[in-house]
Amino acid sequence: MSDNLQVLLLDDEPIVGRRLKPALAKIGCEVDVFEDPELALAKMAQKEYDVVVTDIRMDQIDGMQVLEFVRERWPRSKVIMITGYAMMSLAREAMEKGAFDFIAKPFKPDDLRRVIAKAAHALGSDIDFEAVEVEKANG
Amino acid sequence: MPLIIVSADDFKQGDEISQKVAGTLGYRYLGRDLLHYVATENQVSEEELARALDEAPGLLTRRARRQRLLGLIEAACLNVLLDDNVVCFGLAAHMYVRAVSHALKVRIINEPEQRAEELAKAEGLSVDKARKQVLRQTKEERRWSEEAYNLDQTDASLYDMVISLGTLELDKAVEIISDTVGYRKFQPMTYSRKLMQDKALAANVRRELMGQFPEIRVEANDGTVVVFIQSLKKDQRKKQELVRQIAGGLPGVRHVEVHIIRDLVGQAAQSSR
Repeated sequence: MSDNLQVLLLDDEPIVGRRLKPALAKIGCEVDVFEDPELALAKMAQKEYDVVVTDIRMDQIDGMQVLEFVRERWPRSKVIMITGYAMMSLAREAMEKGAFDFIAKPFKPDDLRRVIAKAAHALGSDIDFEAVEVEKANG
Repeated sequence: MPLIIVSADDFKQGDEISQKVAGTLGYRYLGRDLLHYVATENQVSEEELARALDEAPGLLTRRARRQRLLGLIEAACLNVLLDDNVVCFGLAAHMYVRAVSHALKVRIINEPEQRAEELAKAEGLSVDKARKQVLRQTKEERRWSEEAYNLDQTDASLYDMVISLGTLELDKAVEIISDTVGYRKFQPMTYSRKLMQDKALAANVRRELMGQFPEIRVEANDGTVVVFIQSLKKDQRKKQELVRQIAGGLPGVRHVEVHIIRDLVGQAAQSSR
């Protein structure tokens, strides 16, 4: 078992996974990307991830159902909700159901990295996010 | 941690509840004291600021001035509300923090009959006269919010919670608010914090520009500011440049877009000359 933070990223838009996977790898995350919620749920039935990042609006299964599944199956996992349809009622519903955080799209990779670093901290395994920022600044 | 925004049909009761909630939770209390700071910072009188919050404007010509004063209060208030753990009362924040999920919006009401009785006792009026005064105050309050923010602040749907002091004791109201704010749904999140930052930035830009552009609207998103102003066609370029120059120099602003709304009244006046 790797010491890296285990992250599952679920979004039915392929570009999101393509863009975020390398960004999260830079802070030491091991990322499994899914576009199909059913496949993601099947994987999560077997494996406990430290962090699950899920879109909310998807065709067959929505992100709230994913959140409920994870909270039930792996209560230690931190779930971060991302959506292009952010509004107050949805944000409150997600938090009430136990989401760790809620981010409106579009966002910058750094925004998600910051939240993942917070989640890692809450799980007791700190990520040196500052080091990544220094590395970026130095080119 | 969350914010608590309180609005009340009786100022004294709303103020007392807000201060008690702040004391119970160890939160900062943000109330009318802010007006002293706003007055000093902007060289306006504290009394005039208070009147802008309490009275509907009488004449059309005073509207622009009143909106400017409210804009100054809004910017100062939002800058404080960027911090966590604040109870805010008496600054009309319930009108401009509506979509922010980590702000618990509370309305305190009192039965009109009870208000009338208390008013009659306090001011030595007949109950009948006091009833009429309460009715007038309610109408005035509604007119104020409709004219200033295009919303009826007595509308219960603007709030997460409406507490009637005709049914509950004041201390019970304090207890209920203090308990409710602990619900997970009112916790700050990346989305709601960003929304608050965008609102504060838009208010700061508006504050700087509204002296020159009274009919201004400003939206902000992550450092990008979109400004809507009125202009005659011939002044358009000059005004856009001025807005870019002023707004572009403010902290937090990365990009400025200026949209012109045609000044139809001005245009008509000019073409009739």
